[in-house]
Amino acid sequence: MTNESLVTRPLPKRFITAAIRHPAVVPLGAVFLAVLVGAVIVAAAGLNPIAAYAAVLEGAFDPRSLDYTVSVWAFTCGMALAAAIPLRMGEFNLGGNGQLVLGGLAAVVVAQLSPLPGVLTALLALIAAALLAGAFGAISAPLATRFRIPIIISTLLLSPVAVAVVSFLVRYPLGQPGAAVAQTERLPDAGHLPSFAGLSYSNLGVLIIIAMMVAFAVVDRRTAVGFEIRVLGANRRFGTYGGVHVGRLTFGAMAAAGAAAGIVGAIIVMSPPYRLIDGALISPGYTFAGLAAALLAGGRPALLPVTAALFAVLQVGGASMERSADVPRQLSDVLQGVVIIVLALRTVLDARRTGRSG
Amino acid sequence: MTDPAATLTGISKRYDGVVANDSVDLVLRRGTVHAVMGENGAGKSTLMSILFGLTAPDSGTIVVGGRELRLRGPADAIAAGLGMVHQHFRLFDSMTVAENVVYGAEPSRGMLLDRRTAATRVRELSDRYGLGLDPDATVGRLSAGVRQRVEIVKALHRDADILILDEPTAVLTPDEVTSLFAVIRRAADAGSTVVLVTHKIHEVLAISDEVTVLRAGRVTGRFLTGEVTGRELVEAMTGRDVVSVVNPGRGEIGDIALEVDGITVHERGVTRLADVSLQLRRGEILGVAGVSGNGQHELVEAILGAAATSAGSVRIEGRNVTALDVRRRRAAGLAVIPEDRRGEGTAITMTTAENLSVGHHRSAPIGGSGARRGWLSPSAQRSEAKRLIADYDIRTGSEQTLVGSLSGGNAQKVVIARELSHEAPVLVAEQPTQGVDVGAIESIHRRLLDYRDAGRAVLLVSHEISELQALADRVIVLYSGRVVAEFPKEEATTARIGAAMTGVAERVGGELP
Repeated sequence: MTNESLVTRPLPKRFITAAIRHPAVVPLGAVFLAVLVGAVIVAAAGLNPIAAYAAVLEGAFDPRSLDYTVSVWAFTCGMALAAAIPLRMGEFNLGGNGQLVLGGLAAVVVAQLSPLPGVLTALLALIAAALLAGAFGAISAPLATRFRIPIIISTLLLSPVAVAVVSFLVRYPLGQPGAAVAQTERLPDAGHLPSFAGLSYSNLGVLIIIAMMVAFAVVDRRTAVGFEIRVLGANRRFGTYGGVHVGRLTFGAMAAAGAAAGIVGAIIVMSPPYRLIDGALISPGYTFAGLAAALLAGGRPALLPVTAALFAVLQVGGASMERSADVPRQLSDVLQGVVIIVLALRTVLDARRTGRSG
Repeated sequence: MTDPAATLTGISKRYDGVVANDSVDLVLRRGTVHAVMGENGAGKSTLMSILFGLTAPDSGTIVVGGRELRLRGPADAIAAGLGMVHQHFRLFDSMTVAENVVYGAEPSRGMLLDRRTAATRVRELSDRYGLGLDPDATVGRLSAGVRQRVEIVKALHRDADILILDEPTAVLTPDEVTSLFAVIRRAADAGSTVVLVTHKIHEVLAISDEVTVLRAGRVTGRFLTGEVTGRELVEAMTGRDVVSVVNPGRGEIGDIALEVDGITVHERGVTRLADVSLQLRRGEILGVAGVSGNGQHELVEAILGAAATSAGSVRIEGRNVTALDVRRRRAAGLAVIPEDRRGEGTAITMTTAENLSVGHHRSAPIGGSGARRGWLSPSAQRSEAKRLIADYDIRTGSEQTLVGSLSGGNAQKVVIARELSHEAPVLVAEQPTQGVDVGAIESIHRRLLDYRDAGRAVLLVSHEISELQALADRVIVLYSGRVVAEFPKEEATTARIGAAMTGVAERVGGELP
């Protein structure tokens, strides 16, 4: 064999090889595969997959529910942020639920006790939520740097503790006496986030979350700290040799992630029905939809709104699909699961591909 | 001789447009030691990965024992009688020698591992090849040389008659190399075929029967070892005579720039560095010689502050930095070229511009000062990168090209450019020319000399005696974590440094710091 055959390898094949290696291929493929798997499941159940997906889109983009879709998107964005900030430095924050409920708790307590006038009370409640949830998220940093407990483990295991504590407080010391469900008293007016005229779901909270997303994008691209976080995410030893403070940055990133989740929790309780209801922050599944959105975006700030929109549409549209096309909404969870599995597969395939050396 | 043990014909493999193997032919004759040599990146490892079924070739055929093989994985290669000892051992530290040897091909009694048979088997193979292995020893407690023998026995246990040794001497002391060569010879005499992958010429001349030389993925020479000279091998490897840069003489010696006093490092109960002291002055290159793993890396990390030390102090430009972290030590006047380019020197998934700006990202022009402190300018990041790419002749598509897709030499130039451009008074360069081509070696050597001539201090850690002789004004030798010898340039002969590297203490000039 001469080397001519090597040089003149058919162009299409080379083109295809290059195309397959493009970083966008795996995420897009994951979404495509998920949609395909969903279609197969729906068809296997004897239903029309096209009708089901059409119902998802119609439900999500129905002008009457668009307001609701936007609010779900914003909460998903907020929780995506909680996952994406640590993901940028290669860490997984699985403690979003705990951080979320602690934020809700702090906001409720402050809003009820604050003697300050309206706007200041709301601001104070948001700050308290960010501080408490941020402190909780930050616990995992020294656990990782001092005691070598991986962040993915400590966040996952600490989260249910926070959820249980908040649940206890809502049931007993802070609970509304005589109420049918475990919930706190309705917040005084000062603790309500201003809503937009004519909208019942989207309020100032949406703008707060968008502002957080913008702040993340700016820090990521334009600051020394954001650069250092990306360097650590790409190669931790390299960062250490270059003089990056791993411990401090991990602490900051986990605190910021916790604060983002805490603010989402605060926004939820400061919106109608203006109470902290036991389980109500967790049951919509913003945390794991956010995590999936962050993974799908690879933590990139510019992509988060897009991937979060995908899961928000699935969630809102899933409910109306159940009503109009008779397909159970759990299909949304299936799709979310397929996306995560494909993204996890990428890690395995990447590891196989790097069997190259001198 | 009879038919060859293995024949590789027209093996080609490319990665992302980089040709790793280009129509490589290799004939391994039964009962011989065949050296496959070439510089780092010449395609030796790729070729061996293909032979052992770890990598699929784009084209070409492999015939072993007269049968054409289609290898789907190492299991197929093992079944065909191949065994490979990797550079990085693949052993379970917490298990015994016997358990490691039989893992994957265990003698069993019912459901249970037949320990006695396993131990007998290890003893038998160990005796036959003179390896002196204790089947019941725990692998984690063994030295690198002994672990390597465990790997060899592991391959022999699976009836390998073609044994591939990938850079086997990289982790060994000179004594261990001698005994490894005895084992190789004995295996070949017993009819095994041994493939020795290496870039060290004296090893090839000492042990092999035949040599195949690779350069840039192609075969550039095939020799019978008895009929070839070292010079011919160098020419085949490099394509020309190696014109090395030579230190023209001492520079202007100035004040003490780096002072290490009594540094001791313990790691998991093992003493890695014992009471090491040295002084490095401006205008001086101090070479640190030693077989890999004798404390050089620990010394670099202790100076940088990247690992904990148990005792001792480090002073940079007269300032005691022992209690400071990496960033403050760098700010005090330190730059470091780390040994492991992919592990510590670069982030391969980031762009060339980003890699070049690490460490420069908190100062002007890339980082902001004053009111803009903590901010970063992506446009300055790119323009600074363009400047360094031009200055250091880094061959890259653009400053946005990922470092992972650069060749080894160009990736190393990224590291060199980044660290030298700090113009820090103290530069620690650990194996700065490892795995780069000859042209890049020359340019890096010139840069280091220029750096010294500009009145700065360089600590050069190298495993290549010739590199130290060419560049260093003074050479110290580390053995087992201790400074065992120091030679001024004039007295740093290969024989003396080599002897000290084996632990024979000699103190010349009587002025050990």
